[in-house]
Amino acid sequence: MLNINDLELRHKKYKRKYYAPLFTMIVSTAIIAASITWFFVYNQKNTFIVENKIVKEPIVAQKIETEPVVEEKNESTLELATKEKLHVISENAVREETAEEKQEKLVLSPSLGFMSKLESKSQIYKEPAKELNSTPKPKETPEQKRAETVSPKIENKQIAPKKEEIEEITINTDKKSSINIARKDEIEDIAHVLKRFNVNHNPALSLFVAKKYYQLGDYEQAYNYALITNDINNNIEDSWLIFSKSLVKLNKKELALETLKKYISHSHSSQARQLLEEIQTGKFK
Amino acid sequence: MKPSIYENSRDVFLDTVNAEDYIQLERVSIFYQSLRDSIEKPLKMVLLYGKPGTGKSMLLSKLHQNLSSSQKVCLYKTPILDESEFFKTLAQDLYAMTYDGELNFTQFVKVVEKRELVGATVPLILLDEAQLYSTPMMEKIRLLSDTRKVKFVIALHKTEKEDIIAKEHFQTRIWESIKLENASTSELKIYIQKKLMKANSIDTASMFTQKSIDLVHKLTDGNYRDVNKLVYTLFDIYVYYANNNPNKINTSEISTKFIEMAAIHTGLIDA
Repeated sequence: MLNINDLELRHKKYKRKYYAPLFTMIVSTAIIAASITWFFVYNQKNTFIVENKIVKEPIVAQKIETEPVVEEKNESTLELATKEKLHVISENAVREETAEEKQEKLVLSPSLGFMSKLESKSQIYKEPAKELNSTPKPKETPEQKRAETVSPKIENKQIAPKKEEIEEITINTDKKSSINIARKDEIEDIAHVLKRFNVNHNPALSLFVAKKYYQLGDYEQAYNYALITNDINNNIEDSWLIFSKSLVKLNKKELALETLKKYISHSHSSQARQLLEEIQTGKFK
Repeated sequence: MKPSIYENSRDVFLDTVNAEDYIQLERVSIFYQSLRDSIEKPLKMVLLYGKPGTGKSMLLSKLHQNLSSSQKVCLYKTPILDESEFFKTLAQDLYAMTYDGELNFTQFVKVVEKRELVGATVPLILLDEAQLYSTPMMEKIRLLSDTRKVKFVIALHKTEKEDIIAKEHFQTRIWESIKLENASTSELKIYIQKKLMKANSIDTASMFTQKSIDLVHKLTDGNYRDVNKLVYTLFDIYVYYANNNPNKINTSEISTKFIEMAAIHTGLIDA
Protein backbone atom coordinates (compact mmCIF):
# COMPACT_ATOMS: atom_id res chain seq x y z
CA MET A 1 0.00 0.00 0.00
CA LEU A 2 1.35 3.33 -0.99
CA ASN A 3 1.83 6.11 1.52
CA ILE A 4 1.03 8.95 -0.85
CA ASN A 5 1.55 11.74 1.68
CA ASP A 6 5.03 10.51 2.48
CA LEU A 7 5.68 10.02 -1.21
CA GLU A 8 4.62 13.58 -1.98
CA LEU A 9 6.90 14.92 0.72
CA ARG A 10 9.77 12.86 -0.61
CA HIS A 11 8.96 14.12 -4.09
CA LYS A 12 9.10 17.75 -2.93
CA LYS A 13 12.39 17.04 -1.26
CA TYR A 14 13.64 15.41 -4.45
CA LYS A 15 12.60 18.39 -6.57
CA ARG A 16 14.38 20.77 -4.25
CA LYS A 17 17.45 18.54 -4.39
CA TYR A 18 17.10 18.32 -8.18
CA TYR A 19 16.75 22.03 -8.79
CA ALA A 20 19.32 23.16 -6.21
CA PRO A 21 22.37 22.54 -8.43
CA LEU A 22 20.51 24.01 -11.40
CA PHE A 23 19.60 27.09 -9.38
CA THR A 24 23.15 27.36 -8.08
CA MET A 25 24.48 27.02 -11.61
CA ILE A 26 22.14 29.71 -12.94
CA VAL A 27 23.02 32.07 -10.09
CA SER A 28 26.73 31.35 -10.54
CA THR A 29 26.45 31.89 -14.29
CA ALA A 30 24.58 35.13 -13.69
CA ILE A 31 27.22 36.30 -11.24
CA ILE A 32 30.02 35.32 -13.60
CA ALA A 33 28.25 36.99 -16.52
CA ALA A 34 27.69 40.12 -14.45
CA SER A 35 31.32 40.09 -13.36
CA ILE A 36 32.55 39.69 -16.92
CA THR A 37 30.20 42.42 -18.11
CA TRP A 38 31.35 44.71 -15.33
CA PHE A 39 34.96 43.89 -16.13
CA PHE A 40 34.52 44.76 -19.78
CA VAL A 41 32.55 47.88 -19.02
CA TYR A 42 35.19 48.94 -16.54
CA ASN A 43 37.93 48.23 -19.05
CA GLN A 44 36.03 50.14 -21.69
CA LYS A 45 35.78 53.12 -19.36
CA ASN A 46 39.49 52.91 -18.72
CA THR A 47 40.06 52.68 -22.44
CA PHE A 48 37.96 55.81 -22.92
CA ILE A 49 39.97 57.58 -20.26
CA VAL A 50 43.20 56.45 -21.89
CA GLU A 51 41.86 57.43 -25.29
CA ASN A 52 40.89 60.82 -23.97
CA LYS A 53 44.35 61.18 -22.57
CA ILE A 54 45.76 60.09 -25.89
CA VAL A 55 43.56 62.60 -27.65
CA LYS A 56 44.83 65.25 -25.32
CA GLU A 57 48.38 64.00 -25.55
CA PRO A 58 49.13 65.34 -29.02
CA ILE A 59 48.25 68.82 -27.81
CA VAL A 60 50.61 68.44 -24.93
CA ALA A 61 53.07 66.66 -27.12
CA GLN A 62 52.90 69.45 -29.60
CA LYS A 63 53.83 71.82 -26.87
CA ILE A 64 56.54 69.55 -25.67
CA GLU A 65 57.75 69.02 -29.18
CA THR A 66 57.96 72.63 -29.93
CA GLU A 67 59.34 73.77 -26.63
CA PRO A 68 62.57 71.85 -26.90
CA VAL A 69 62.98 73.34 -30.32
CA VAL A 70 62.87 76.71 -28.70
CA GLU A 71 65.08 75.60 -25.86
CA GLU A 72 67.67 74.01 -28.10
CA LYS A 73 67.81 76.62 -30.71
CA ASN A 74 71.57 76.64 -30.79
CA GLU A 75 71.86 72.88 -30.78
CA SER A 76 69.50 71.81 -33.49
CA THR A 77 67.51 73.18 -36.35
CA LEU A 78 64.01 72.35 -37.46
CA GLU A 79 63.05 72.72 -41.02
CA LEU A 80 59.56 73.91 -41.57
CA ALA A 81 58.24 73.74 -45.07
CA THR A 82 54.98 75.57 -44.60
CA LYS A 83 53.72 78.72 -43.06
CA GLU A 84 51.55 76.71 -40.70
CA LYS A 85 54.61 75.29 -39.08
CA LEU A 86 56.04 78.68 -38.80
CA HIS A 87 52.85 79.76 -37.15
CA VAL A 88 53.10 76.99 -34.57
CA ILE A 89 56.65 77.90 -33.76
CA SER A 90 55.71 81.47 -33.35
CA GLU A 91 52.98 80.51 -30.93
CA ASN A 92 55.44 78.50 -28.91
CA ALA A 93 57.73 81.41 -28.84
CA VAL A 94 54.84 83.49 -27.57
CA ARG A 95 54.33 81.07 -24.69
CA GLU A 96 57.98 81.14 -23.88
CA GLU A 97 58.06 84.86 -23.91
CA THR A 98 55.02 85.05 -21.71
CA ALA A 99 56.94 82.98 -19.21
CA GLU A 100 59.94 85.15 -19.58
CA GLU A 101 57.96 88.27 -18.95
CA LYS A 102 57.26 87.03 -15.50
CA GLN A 103 60.94 87.11 -14.76
CA GLU A 104 62.67 90.12 -13.45
CA LYS A 105 63.22 92.66 -16.20
CA LEU A 106 66.56 94.24 -16.83
CA VAL A 107 66.67 97.96 -16.50
CA LEU A 108 69.35 98.05 -19.15
CA SER A 109 68.64 99.83 -22.35
CA PRO A 110 70.95 100.35 -25.27
CA SER A 111 72.61 103.62 -25.64
CA LEU A 112 70.79 105.19 -28.48
CA GLY A 113 72.82 108.27 -28.85
CA PHE A 114 74.01 107.10 -32.23
CA MET A 115 70.45 107.31 -33.41
CA SER A 116 70.87 111.00 -33.81
CA LYS A 117 73.60 110.23 -36.32
CA LEU A 118 71.47 107.94 -38.33
CA GLU A 119 70.04 109.41 -41.38
CA SER A 120 66.39 109.36 -42.30
CA LYS A 121 67.25 107.19 -45.27
CA SER A 122 67.07 104.16 -43.06
CA GLN A 123 63.74 102.38 -42.85
CA ILE A 124 62.04 102.98 -39.58
CA TYR A 125 59.42 100.94 -37.80
CA LYS A 126 56.18 102.87 -37.53
CA GLU A 127 52.58 102.46 -36.53
CA PRO A 128 50.44 101.65 -39.57
CA ALA A 129 48.09 104.57 -38.88
CA LYS A 130 50.96 106.99 -38.57
CA GLU A 131 52.67 105.59 -41.61
CA LEU A 132 49.87 106.82 -43.83
CA ASN A 133 50.09 110.41 -42.67
CA SER A 134 53.68 110.95 -41.86
CA THR A 135 57.08 110.36 -43.39
CA PRO A 136 59.85 108.51 -41.59
CA LYS A 137 61.73 110.66 -39.14
CA PRO A 138 65.50 110.38 -39.33
CA LYS A 139 66.28 110.79 -35.68
CA GLU A 140 63.78 108.94 -33.66
CA THR A 141 64.24 107.82 -30.15
CA PRO A 142 63.67 104.17 -29.20
CA GLU A 143 60.43 105.25 -27.49
CA GLN A 144 59.17 106.71 -30.68
CA LYS A 145 60.22 103.68 -32.65
CA ARG A 146 58.38 101.47 -30.26
CA ALA A 147 55.12 103.03 -31.32
CA GLU A 148 55.78 102.39 -34.94
CA THR A 149 54.45 99.49 -36.86
CA VAL A 150 56.13 97.34 -39.44
CA SER A 151 53.58 97.67 -42.20
CA PRO A 152 55.47 100.18 -44.28
CA LYS A 153 58.53 98.02 -44.18
CA ILE A 154 56.58 95.08 -45.45
CA GLU A 155 55.49 97.09 -48.44
CA ASN A 156 59.04 98.20 -49.06
CA LYS A 157 60.35 94.72 -48.74
CA GLN A 158 57.76 93.39 -51.10
CA ILE A 159 59.24 95.64 -53.74
CA ALA A 160 62.71 94.37 -52.95
CA PRO A 161 63.98 91.31 -54.86
CA LYS A 162 62.75 88.09 -53.31
CA LYS A 163 64.86 85.14 -52.38
CA GLU A 164 63.15 81.97 -53.48
CA GLU A 165 65.73 79.54 -52.21
CA ILE A 166 65.34 77.60 -48.98
CA GLU A 167 67.13 79.14 -46.12
CA GLU A 168 67.59 78.51 -42.46
CA ILE A 169 65.85 80.71 -39.97
CA THR A 170 67.11 80.53 -36.46
CA ILE A 171 65.09 81.88 -33.60
CA ASN A 172 67.40 82.41 -30.68
CA THR A 173 66.27 83.02 -27.19
CA ASP A 174 68.10 83.09 -23.89
CA LYS A 175 67.58 79.29 -23.84
CA LYS A 176 69.80 78.97 -26.88
CA SER A 177 67.61 77.12 -29.26
CA SER A 178 67.38 77.35 -33.00
CA ILE A 179 64.80 76.59 -35.57
CA ASN A 180 65.39 76.02 -39.23
CA ILE A 181 62.52 77.02 -41.35
CA ALA A 182 62.46 75.93 -44.92
CA ARG A 183 60.39 78.14 -47.11
CA LYS A 184 60.10 79.53 -50.55
CA ASP A 185 59.13 83.08 -50.03
CA GLU A 186 60.86 84.73 -47.12
CA ILE A 187 59.27 88.08 -47.62
CA GLU A 188 55.83 86.55 -47.42
CA ASP A 189 56.90 84.79 -44.27
CA ILE A 190 58.06 88.05 -42.76
CA ALA A 191 54.81 89.69 -43.74
CA HIS A 192 52.90 86.84 -42.17
CA VAL A 193 54.88 87.11 -38.95
CA LEU A 194 54.49 90.87 -38.87
CA LYS A 195 50.72 90.52 -39.19
CA ARG A 196 50.77 88.32 -36.17
CA PHE A 197 53.09 90.68 -34.36
CA ASN A 198 50.73 93.57 -34.97
CA VAL A 199 48.02 91.62 -33.27
CA ASN A 200 49.85 90.33 -30.21
CA HIS A 201 53.12 92.34 -30.04
CA ASN A 202 55.00 89.20 -29.21
CA PRO A 203 58.74 89.95 -28.88
CA ALA A 204 59.57 86.52 -30.29
CA LEU A 205 57.93 87.51 -33.53
CA SER A 206 59.73 90.83 -33.76
CA LEU A 207 62.99 89.04 -32.94
CA PHE A 208 62.29 86.59 -35.71
CA VAL A 209 61.75 89.49 -38.13
CA ALA A 210 64.95 91.14 -36.89
CA LYS A 211 66.94 88.00 -37.52
CA LYS A 212 65.34 87.52 -40.89
CA TYR A 213 66.20 91.03 -41.97
CA TYR A 214 69.71 90.53 -40.69
CA GLN A 215 70.04 87.40 -42.77
CA LEU A 216 68.69 89.24 -45.77
CA GLY A 217 71.29 91.94 -45.22
CA ASP A 218 68.80 94.64 -44.31
CA TYR A 219 70.67 95.70 -41.20
CA GLU A 220 68.67 98.83 -40.61
CA GLN A 221 65.47 96.82 -40.37
CA ALA A 222 67.29 94.21 -38.29
CA TYR A 223 68.40 97.03 -35.98
CA ASN A 224 64.85 98.39 -35.85
CA TYR A 225 63.18 95.10 -34.95
CA ALA A 226 65.95 94.14 -32.49
CA LEU A 227 65.28 97.43 -30.79
CA ILE A 228 61.53 96.84 -30.78
CA THR A 229 62.07 93.38 -29.33
CA ASN A 230 64.37 94.77 -26.67
CA ASP A 231 61.86 97.41 -25.83
CA ILE A 232 59.15 94.83 -25.26
CA ASN A 233 61.43 92.43 -23.40
CA ASN A 234 65.02 93.46 -22.70
CA ASN A 235 66.00 90.06 -21.35
CA ILE A 236 66.18 88.42 -24.74
CA GLU A 237 69.84 87.93 -25.43
CA ASP A 238 69.42 87.48 -29.16
CA SER A 239 67.85 90.89 -29.47
CA TRP A 240 71.03 92.37 -27.97
CA LEU A 241 73.24 90.32 -30.22
CA ILE A 242 71.31 91.16 -33.39
CA PHE A 243 71.19 94.77 -32.29
CA SER A 244 74.95 94.84 -31.80
CA LYS A 245 75.70 92.95 -34.99
CA SER A 246 73.44 95.29 -36.94
CA LEU A 247 75.29 98.27 -35.47
CA VAL A 248 78.60 96.81 -36.60
CA LYS A 249 77.18 96.23 -40.06
CA LEU A 250 75.96 99.84 -40.05
CA ASN A 251 79.54 100.90 -39.22
CA LYS A 252 78.62 101.78 -35.64
CA LYS A 253 81.25 99.50 -34.12
CA GLU A 254 81.94 101.63 -31.07
CA LEU A 255 78.31 101.87 -30.23
CA ALA A 256 77.95 98.12 -30.68
CA LEU A 257 80.87 97.52 -28.32
CA GLU A 258 79.46 99.91 -25.76
CA THR A 259 76.06 98.24 -25.93
CA LEU A 260 77.56 94.78 -25.62
CA LYS A 261 79.70 95.76 -22.65
CA LYS A 262 76.68 97.13 -20.83
CA TYR A 263 74.78 93.98 -21.54
CA ILE A 264 77.68 91.73 -20.48
CA SER A 265 78.12 93.62 -17.24
CA HIS A 266 74.54 92.85 -16.41
CA SER A 267 74.01 89.40 -17.85
CA HIS A 268 77.53 87.94 -18.01
CA SER A 269 76.51 86.33 -21.25
CA SER A 270 79.24 84.23 -22.79
CA GLN A 271 77.75 84.65 -26.23
CA ALA A 272 77.77 88.39 -25.85
CA ARG A 273 81.34 88.21 -24.59
CA GLN A 274 82.37 86.11 -27.54
CA LEU A 275 80.72 88.52 -29.95
CA LEU A 276 82.45 91.39 -28.19
CA GLU A 277 85.81 89.70 -28.66
CA GLU A 278 85.08 88.95 -32.28
CA ILE A 279 84.15 92.58 -32.91
CA GLN A 280 87.19 93.82 -31.05
CA THR A 281 89.57 91.46 -32.85
CA GLY A 282 87.97 92.21 -36.14
CA LYS A 283 86.76 88.72 -36.75
CA PHE A 284 83.28 90.05 -37.01
CA LYS A 285 82.95 92.83 -39.43
CA MET B 1 -11.65 8.11 -15.67
CA LYS B 2 -12.76 5.36 -13.31
CA PRO B 3 -10.34 3.96 -10.77
CA SER B 4 -10.87 0.50 -12.20
CA ILE B 5 -9.23 1.54 -15.47
CA TYR B 6 -6.07 2.41 -13.59
CA GLU B 7 -6.31 -0.80 -11.61
CA ASN B 8 -6.47 -2.86 -14.81
CA SER B 9 -3.57 -0.95 -16.27
CA ARG B 10 -1.62 -1.46 -13.09
CA ASP B 11 -2.14 -5.22 -13.06
CA VAL B 12 -0.79 -5.54 -16.57
CA PHE B 13 2.61 -4.62 -15.22
CA LEU B 14 2.76 -7.17 -12.43
CA ASP B 15 6.30 -8.48 -12.60
CA THR B 16 5.59 -12.09 -13.44
CA VAL B 17 7.14 -14.29 -16.10
CA ASN B 18 4.24 -15.54 -18.13
CA ALA B 19 4.51 -16.51 -21.75
CA GLU B 20 1.04 -15.13 -22.28
CA ASP B 21 2.35 -11.67 -21.44
CA TYR B 22 5.08 -11.92 -24.03
CA ILE B 23 5.20 -8.72 -26.10
CA GLN B 24 6.27 -9.09 -29.66
CA LEU B 25 8.97 -6.50 -30.20
CA GLU B 26 11.11 -6.44 -33.28
CA ARG B 27 14.37 -7.01 -31.52
CA VAL B 28 12.94 -9.57 -29.12
CA SER B 29 11.51 -11.41 -32.11
CA ILE B 30 14.95 -11.51 -33.67
CA PHE B 31 16.39 -12.91 -30.46
CA TYR B 32 13.66 -15.48 -30.26
CA GLN B 33 14.16 -16.55 -33.86
CA SER B 34 17.90 -16.88 -33.42
CA LEU B 35 17.25 -18.98 -30.32
CA ARG B 36 14.95 -21.23 -32.30
CA ASP B 37 17.56 -21.53 -35.02
CA SER B 38 20.25 -22.41 -32.50
CA ILE B 39 18.09 -25.18 -31.09
CA GLU B 40 17.62 -26.60 -34.59
CA LYS B 41 21.38 -26.72 -35.08
CA PRO B 42 23.39 -29.75 -33.86
CA LEU B 43 24.63 -27.77 -30.90
CA LYS B 44 25.05 -29.25 -27.46
CA MET B 45 24.41 -26.09 -25.53
CA VAL B 46 23.01 -22.59 -26.09
CA LEU B 47 23.87 -19.73 -23.82
CA LEU B 48 21.36 -16.97 -23.30
CA TYR B 49 22.78 -14.09 -21.30
CA GLY B 50 22.19 -10.48 -20.43
CA LYS B 51 21.57 -8.15 -17.53
CA PRO B 52 18.75 -8.91 -15.12
CA GLY B 53 15.43 -7.77 -16.50
CA THR B 54 16.38 -7.99 -20.16
CA GLY B 55 13.81 -10.71 -20.86
CA LYS B 56 15.75 -13.96 -20.59
CA SER B 57 13.16 -15.68 -18.44
CA MET B 58 10.37 -14.44 -20.66
CA LEU B 59 12.16 -15.72 -23.73
CA LEU B 60 12.67 -19.15 -22.14
CA SER B 61 9.02 -19.24 -21.13
CA LYS B 62 7.95 -18.33 -24.63
CA LEU B 63 10.27 -20.97 -26.08
CA HIS B 64 8.96 -23.57 -23.67
CA GLN B 65 5.40 -22.71 -24.53
CA ASN B 66 6.00 -22.87 -28.26
CA LEU B 67 8.12 -26.03 -28.32
CA SER B 68 6.33 -28.13 -25.74
CA SER B 69 3.73 -29.21 -28.26
CA SER B 70 6.30 -30.45 -30.77
CA GLN B 71 9.16 -31.90 -28.67
CA LYS B 72 10.26 -32.82 -25.21
CA VAL B 73 11.23 -29.61 -23.43
CA CYS B 74 11.68 -28.97 -19.74
CA LEU B 75 11.91 -25.52 -18.19
CA TYR B 76 13.48 -24.99 -14.79
CA LYS B 77 12.86 -21.44 -13.74
CA THR B 78 14.65 -21.83 -10.44
CA PRO B 79 17.84 -23.83 -10.08
CA ILE B 80 17.80 -27.22 -8.34
CA LEU B 81 20.93 -26.91 -6.35
CA ASP B 82 21.03 -30.39 -4.85
CA GLU B 83 22.78 -32.66 -7.31
CA SER B 84 20.78 -35.82 -6.63
CA GLU B 85 17.54 -33.90 -6.67
CA PHE B 86 18.55 -32.26 -9.95
CA PHE B 87 19.24 -35.59 -11.70
CA LYS B 88 16.16 -37.24 -10.19
CA THR B 89 14.02 -34.33 -11.47
CA LEU B 90 15.56 -34.66 -14.93
CA ALA B 91 14.96 -38.43 -14.93
CA GLN B 92 11.38 -37.89 -13.95
CA ASP B 93 10.71 -35.13 -16.50
CA LEU B 94 12.62 -36.62 -19.41
CA TYR B 95 12.02 -40.32 -18.95
CA ALA B 96 9.26 -40.53 -16.35
CA MET B 97 11.57 -42.49 -14.06
CA THR B 98 11.23 -42.08 -10.32
CA TYR B 99 13.97 -42.78 -7.84
CA ASP B 100 13.36 -43.11 -4.15
CA GLY B 101 16.97 -43.13 -3.14
CA GLU B 102 19.98 -41.11 -4.29
CA LEU B 103 20.72 -40.60 -7.98
CA ASN B 104 24.23 -39.47 -8.67
CA PHE B 105 25.72 -38.15 -11.88
CA THR B 106 27.28 -41.48 -12.97
CA GLN B 107 24.01 -43.31 -12.54
CA PHE B 108 22.10 -40.65 -14.43
CA VAL B 109 24.59 -40.61 -17.32
CA LYS B 110 24.13 -44.36 -17.67
CA VAL B 111 20.38 -43.85 -17.81
CA VAL B 112 20.69 -41.15 -20.44
CA GLU B 113 23.09 -43.15 -22.61
CA LYS B 114 20.79 -46.20 -22.56
CA ARG B 115 17.85 -44.13 -23.78
CA GLU B 116 17.16 -44.03 -27.45
CA LEU B 117 16.05 -40.75 -28.96
CA VAL B 118 12.43 -40.49 -29.91
CA GLY B 119 12.55 -39.48 -33.54
CA ALA B 120 15.38 -37.15 -34.42
CA THR B 121 14.65 -34.55 -31.77
CA VAL B 122 16.85 -34.25 -28.74
CA PRO B 123 15.08 -33.44 -25.48
CA LEU B 124 15.60 -29.81 -24.53
CA ILE B 125 16.30 -28.63 -21.01
CA LEU B 126 15.91 -24.91 -20.28
CA LEU B 127 17.80 -23.76 -17.22
CA ASP B 128 17.02 -20.26 -15.97
CA GLU B 129 19.20 -18.46 -13.45
CA ALA B 130 22.03 -20.85 -14.28
CA GLN B 131 24.55 -18.59 -12.59
CA LEU B 132 23.35 -20.08 -9.31
CA TYR B 133 24.65 -23.53 -10.21
CA SER B 134 28.02 -24.47 -8.79
CA THR B 135 31.01 -24.94 -11.01
CA PRO B 136 31.15 -28.77 -10.56
CA MET B 137 27.47 -28.90 -11.34
CA MET B 138 28.00 -26.89 -14.51
CA GLU B 139 30.77 -29.28 -15.48
CA LYS B 140 28.40 -32.22 -15.07
CA ILE B 141 25.79 -30.45 -17.18
CA ARG B 142 28.43 -30.02 -19.87
CA LEU B 143 29.29 -33.72 -19.73
CA LEU B 144 25.63 -34.58 -20.03
CA SER B 145 25.35 -32.50 -23.15
CA ASP B 146 28.33 -34.39 -24.58
CA THR B 147 26.18 -37.50 -24.73
CA ARG B 148 24.12 -35.63 -27.38
CA LYS B 149 21.09 -37.30 -25.87
CA VAL B 150 20.00 -34.07 -24.21
CA LYS B 151 20.41 -30.41 -25.15
CA PHE B 152 20.64 -27.48 -22.74
CA VAL B 153 19.63 -23.84 -23.08
CA ILE B 154 21.21 -21.99 -20.23
CA ALA B 155 20.12 -18.49 -19.25
CA LEU B 156 22.35 -16.53 -16.92
CA HIS B 157 23.15 -13.01 -15.90
CA LYS B 158 25.99 -11.38 -17.72
CA THR B 159 28.48 -10.64 -15.03
CA GLU B 160 32.18 -11.14 -14.67
CA LYS B 161 31.56 -14.38 -12.82
CA GLU B 162 29.26 -15.66 -15.52
CA ASP B 163 31.88 -14.83 -18.09
CA ILE B 164 34.29 -17.14 -16.30
CA ILE B 165 31.66 -19.88 -16.19
CA ALA B 166 31.04 -19.44 -19.87
CA LYS B 167 34.73 -19.67 -20.62
CA GLU B 168 35.37 -22.70 -18.45
CA HIS B 169 32.38 -24.78 -19.38
CA PHE B 170 31.41 -23.75 -22.84
CA GLN B 171 34.51 -22.49 -24.56
CA THR B 172 35.59 -25.88 -25.88
CA ARG B 173 32.03 -27.02 -26.56
CA ILE B 174 29.94 -26.49 -29.58
CA TRP B 175 27.65 -23.79 -28.32
CA GLU B 176 26.03 -20.59 -29.28
CA SER B 177 25.42 -17.52 -27.22
CA ILE B 178 22.70 -14.91 -27.54
CA LYS B 179 22.98 -11.66 -25.66
CA LEU B 180 19.84 -9.84 -24.61
CA GLU B 181 19.80 -6.09 -24.04
CA ASN B 182 17.56 -3.40 -22.57
CA ALA B 183 14.86 -1.75 -24.63
CA SER B 184 15.44 1.42 -26.57
CA THR B 185 13.05 4.36 -26.16
CA SER B 186 11.00 3.41 -29.18
CA GLU B 187 10.91 -0.24 -28.07
CA LEU B 188 9.85 0.85 -24.63
CA LYS B 189 6.97 2.89 -26.02
CA ILE B 190 5.78 -0.09 -28.05
CA TYR B 191 6.27 -2.38 -25.08
CA ILE B 192 4.17 -0.24 -22.68
CA GLN B 193 1.45 0.60 -25.18
CA LYS B 194 1.17 -2.97 -26.48
CA LYS B 195 0.95 -4.30 -22.96
CA LEU B 196 -1.83 -1.87 -22.09
CA MET B 197 -3.74 -2.39 -25.30
CA LYS B 198 -3.51 -6.12 -24.83
CA ALA B 199 -5.47 -5.54 -21.63
CA ASN B 200 -7.87 -3.19 -23.44
CA SER B 201 -6.52 -0.20 -21.52
CA ILE B 202 -6.50 2.03 -24.58
CA ASP B 203 -7.19 5.23 -22.63
CA THR B 204 -4.20 4.82 -20.38
CA ALA B 205 -2.05 3.67 -23.31
CA SER B 206 -2.78 6.95 -25.08
CA MET B 207 -1.71 8.88 -21.99
CA PHE B 208 1.92 7.85 -22.57
CA THR B 209 3.40 10.67 -24.56
CA GLN B 210 6.95 10.67 -25.87
CA LYS B 211 7.90 12.91 -22.96
CA SER B 212 6.67 10.43 -20.38
CA ILE B 213 8.24 7.52 -22.27
CA ASP B 214 11.55 9.37 -22.34
CA LEU B 215 11.35 9.93 -18.62
CA VAL B 216 10.51 6.28 -17.94
CA HIS B 217 13.39 5.22 -20.15
CA LYS B 218 15.72 7.63 -18.41
CA LEU B 219 14.75 6.24 -15.03
CA THR B 220 14.80 2.55 -15.98
CA ASP B 221 17.41 2.52 -18.73
CA GLY B 222 14.95 0.40 -20.71
CA ASN B 223 15.17 -2.52 -18.31
CA TYR B 224 11.93 -4.45 -18.67
CA ARG B 225 11.81 -5.50 -15.04
CA ASP B 226 12.31 -1.93 -13.81
CA VAL B 227 9.78 -0.66 -16.32
CA ASN B 228 7.22 -3.12 -15.05
CA LYS B 229 7.86 -2.14 -11.46
CA LEU B 230 7.76 1.58 -12.23
CA VAL B 231 4.63 1.56 -14.35
CA TYR B 232 2.89 -0.74 -11.89
CA THR B 233 3.58 1.76 -9.07
CA LEU B 234 2.65 4.63 -11.36
CA PHE B 235 -0.81 3.24 -11.92
CA ASP B 236 -1.06 2.40 -8.26
CA ILE B 237 -0.59 6.12 -7.56
CA TYR B 238 -3.23 6.90 -10.18
CA VAL B 239 -5.58 4.52 -8.43
CA TYR B 240 -5.01 6.37 -5.17
CA TYR B 241 -5.67 9.79 -6.67
CA ALA B 242 -8.65 8.52 -8.66
CA ASN B 243 -10.18 7.38 -5.40
CA ASN B 244 -9.13 10.29 -3.18
CA ASN B 245 -8.38 13.34 -5.24
CA PRO B 246 -9.45 12.93 -8.87
CA ASN B 247 -8.90 16.65 -9.60
CA LYS B 248 -5.18 16.09 -9.49
CA ILE B 249 -5.32 13.70 -12.43
CA ASN B 250 -4.69 14.96 -15.93
CA THR B 251 -6.26 12.34 -18.18
CA SER B 252 -4.60 13.65 -21.33
CA GLU B 253 -1.09 12.58 -20.38
CA ILE B 254 0.86 10.80 -17.71
CA SER B 255 1.95 13.15 -14.94
CA THR B 256 5.69 13.64 -14.67
CA LYS B 257 5.23 14.14 -10.97
CA PHE B 258 3.53 10.77 -10.61
CA ILE B 259 6.28 9.07 -12.62
CA GLU B 260 8.86 10.62 -10.32
CA MET B 261 6.87 9.61 -7.25
CA ALA B 262 6.69 6.05 -8.57
CA ALA B 263 10.43 6.13 -9.20
CA ILE B 264 11.02 7.33 -5.64
CA HIS B 265 8.86 4.56 -4.32
CA THR B 266 10.59 1.86 -6.37
CA GLY B 267 14.02 3.16 -5.49
CA LEU B 268 14.90 4.30 -9.01
CA ILE B 269 15.21 7.84 -7.63
CA ASP B 270 17.11 8.36 -4.44
CA ALA B 271 15.15 11.02 -2.59
